[in-house]
Amino acid sequence: MSLKSGIGKKDTKMRIRAFPVTMDERYVNSIWELLKNAIQEIQKKNNGGLSFEELYRNAYTMVLHKHGEMLYKGLRHVVTDHLVIKVRTSVIMSLNNNFLQTLNQAWNDHQTSMVMIRDILMYMDRVYVQQNNVDNVYNLGLMIFRDQVLHHGQIKDHLQQTLLDMVMCERKGEVVDRGAVKNACQMLMVLGIDSRTVYEEDFERPFLHQSAEFFRLESQKFLGENSASVYIKKVEARINEEAERAAHYLDKSTVNPIIGVVEKELICKHMKTIVEMENSGVIHMLKNHKTEDLACMYKLLKRVDGGLEAMSQCVSSYLREQGKALVTESEDVDTKNPINYVQNLLDLKDRFDHFLHESFGDDMKFKQVISSDFEYFLNLNLKSPEYLSLFIDDKLKKGVKGLTEQEVELVLDKTMVLFRFLQEKDVFERYYKQHLAKRLLLNKSVSDDSEKNMISKLKTECGCQFTSKLEGMFKDMTVSNTTMEEFKNHIQAMGSNLSGVDLYVRVLTTGFWPTQASSPKCTIPTTPRQAFEIFKRFYLAKHSGRQLTLQPQLGSADLNATFFGSKKEDGATSTLNKTSSGPRKHIIQVSTYQMCILMLFNQRDKLSYEEIQTETDIGEKDLIRMLQSLALGKLTQRILVKEPKCKEIEPTHIFSVNDQFTSKLHRVKIQAVVAKGESDPERKETRCKVDEDRKHEIEAAIVRIMKARKRMQHNVLVTEVTQQLKSRFLPSPVIIKKRIEGLIEREYLARTPEDRKVYTYVA
Amino acid sequence: MVPFFFIQIVMLVLAWKLDAKQMGFFTLPEWLKGFSEILCDSVEKVQGKLEYLRSILNDPVQFKSIYRYAFDFARDKDQRSMDIDTAKAMLTLLLGRQWVLYSCFHQFLEQSKYRVINKDQWCNILEFSRTILPDLSNYDVDGAWPVILDEFVDWLKTRQQLHIEVAQM
Repeated sequence: MSLKSGIGKKDTKMRIRAFPVTMDERYVNSIWELLKNAIQEIQKKNNGGLSFEELYRNAYTMVLHKHGEMLYKGLRHVVTDHLVIKVRTSVIMSLNNNFLQTLNQAWNDHQTSMVMIRDILMYMDRVYVQQNNVDNVYNLGLMIFRDQVLHHGQIKDHLQQTLLDMVMCERKGEVVDRGAVKNACQMLMVLGIDSRTVYEEDFERPFLHQSAEFFRLESQKFLGENSASVYIKKVEARINEEAERAAHYLDKSTVNPIIGVVEKELICKHMKTIVEMENSGVIHMLKNHKTEDLACMYKLLKRVDGGLEAMSQCVSSYLREQGKALVTESEDVDTKNPINYVQNLLDLKDRFDHFLHESFGDDMKFKQVISSDFEYFLNLNLKSPEYLSLFIDDKLKKGVKGLTEQEVELVLDKTMVLFRFLQEKDVFERYYKQHLAKRLLLNKSVSDDSEKNMISKLKTECGCQFTSKLEGMFKDMTVSNTTMEEFKNHIQAMGSNLSGVDLYVRVLTTGFWPTQASSPKCTIPTTPRQAFEIFKRFYLAKHSGRQLTLQPQLGSADLNATFFGSKKEDGATSTLNKTSSGPRKHIIQVSTYQMCILMLFNQRDKLSYEEIQTETDIGEKDLIRMLQSLALGKLTQRILVKEPKCKEIEPTHIFSVNDQFTSKLHRVKIQAVVAKGESDPERKETRCKVDEDRKHEIEAAIVRIMKARKRMQHNVLVTEVTQQLKSRFLPSPVIIKKRIEGLIEREYLARTPEDRKVYTYVA
Repeated sequence: MVPFFFIQIVMLVLAWKLDAKQMGFFTLPEWLKGFSEILCDSVEKVQGKLEYLRSILNDPVQFKSIYRYAFDFARDKDQRSMDIDTAKAMLTLLLGRQWVLYSCFHQFLEQSKYRVINKDQWCNILEFSRTILPDLSNYDVDGAWPVILDEFVDWLKTRQQLHIEVAQM
């Protein structure tokens, strides 16, 4: 080492002493004694009279002259002696008296003195320690403290026990010296020297173990309260408390482990119990609209694996049960009324949407579960598509009571949500067409706009194929209006008045409107029939090549009716006979069928059922319905009377005009006895038609796919077809197979000779 | 004497051999005539011919060809499919002896609602008889078998199950 003068040359007062190259042993020892004393004074907290510079310089000298080892070993001895003889003893003595405080004090003192010792021996740290790869001064001090004091048998165990006891006390509600614990934990962390193993072994592990035991017992206690919501709140409180404790006076790294323990003991192990608790669990909460409790439970179960799944399963099974009850035909539940049926389902959806939003935080998984549940039970009842259409029909008709336009819009949007869950959308389409046709023809729609609005909603869901025909229906209505204008001009020009018949004809294009098997028969009375013939000639002259067929089941008529006063009944005592004097005139709105029936009474006073049937040629089912609405309805609707006066209609019963008919209204509309929804035989027929259509759709899909791909294996083809059709309905693999066979027979497809499981497209 | 069925099947083979491309060319009287012409010849020659014909039937490839030909031969010419009674008779003739499950299949057809058999079903019946074991252990549901055969398997399995249950009683 060469001499270096770091002092300026100008300062001549400094005398640079020549550095001795060697040092004799006595000198070295004296330096060491000096240092040793200093260290001991520091340890006794008597560092006041020491000179930092002198000590540093001496240490420096020793190391410089290659006596670092002596210094190092000496240091170790001094520190060890002090800690063993003085410190440890006093700590042991305090075992039953202020133990923690004593230990903490000892630790603090040790740290303070080691810092000072390190400072004076810094040169050794930098040079000797580095070169010889030994622990630096401060760490050496830590290790000696750890080995000689902390891990000394009794002290180690007693410390652990003390700390655990204090935590336990605080858990029970007592106040403890948090600062002392914090200090002790920090000590353990520091003594790990770049690792937390000391803390972990001496404290954390036993702490977690004890905590687990504690919470295990606590969970039993909480469960004993038998209330899920109370349990949850207690657990939440516990979690907060433990987190706060760990953050405040244990080491922060313990926060997560301790919360993990709480979660495991209080939540994981009892998830199912809480969820399924009778009279307070999830089902109880759902039944009683306990939104907040559900939210708390959700938050809690979200913390652990499988928690939400347990909860969602419970929600799902309850929902399925509720939904199933709504759709299953039984005496208690009103499944015969489609409006209530759908409304109940909408209400159920609203309820669960509310839960989803308020309690489950719009959780994706819950959303999926609810959707799949709805899809499940909605499709259990095969009448769902029909009922859904009827519900929409009800909302689009005039006279929807008590709902503003926005409210109707909202309801229809919600109905679309249900629609999405339908598996048999093609059935819905069929019914929707039927109901729309009725609305248009009987002029029952609230407005064209609301109809078109609904159709565009359906278009978004189903595509143009669904709506193109519906739009055709609207077009027919518009064109008919124009045609009637032209017809009116035509008659005026002709100078005819159709014998007083005010005729209105709507011409429907066959392909757009729901098909009838065949147009029902009906003998139209002369006057209207002739008027129609004139129209027919007019129309066919304009559009040659077309065919017009009258649809009597769809039309309506306004009749001028005169009632020739009432005959005094025997024994009648009423003298208020104002209405009975003189003929009364009314306009009656009836269906075409009813018109045919009523006009018979222009010729005859009395007619039997049989005679009416012969004259009008109307089918039995319709005829009975018409006569019921004319003769067996409310008094203000009773145009005809029947003998005998019973409810049943037999072929021999006699009908005649009810001359005693009165009504406050001049214009009387006769309500037709119409069943909401189809009768069972009608449903069967519709189902047959649906099946027929499906056959064609499946075959079309098969041909489409095979034409594009030319060759395909059976299973792959079945999957493709199912995929393509699933927005309309779900075909079963067996049915698809049958269609494939049909196509093979008709030579659209063939099996390949090499592999009978592979089909090819036959051009 | 030659067994009766063999006479019938021989006629089929003859038709096939001589006229594979022109179905329906031989009318029944012509056949009988042709056959009796052969019979008229020496008995030894008939024997020899029968041996030869028997050998054709034993060759799987040729048998398959005959089997397929039989469908077009036996069906009513204005229909695409063969009526069920003809099918049963033809199948008895062709498969009755060599297919273990044939008697079951025959009974299945008797109690089923099928009134006709189409060509695809016909051909697959042969495949089925050749590939599927009598205990149905290697029957594959995804095998693209015509529905009639799926139904046969279900029917047979149900019956076998009942027999086991009865046997265990």
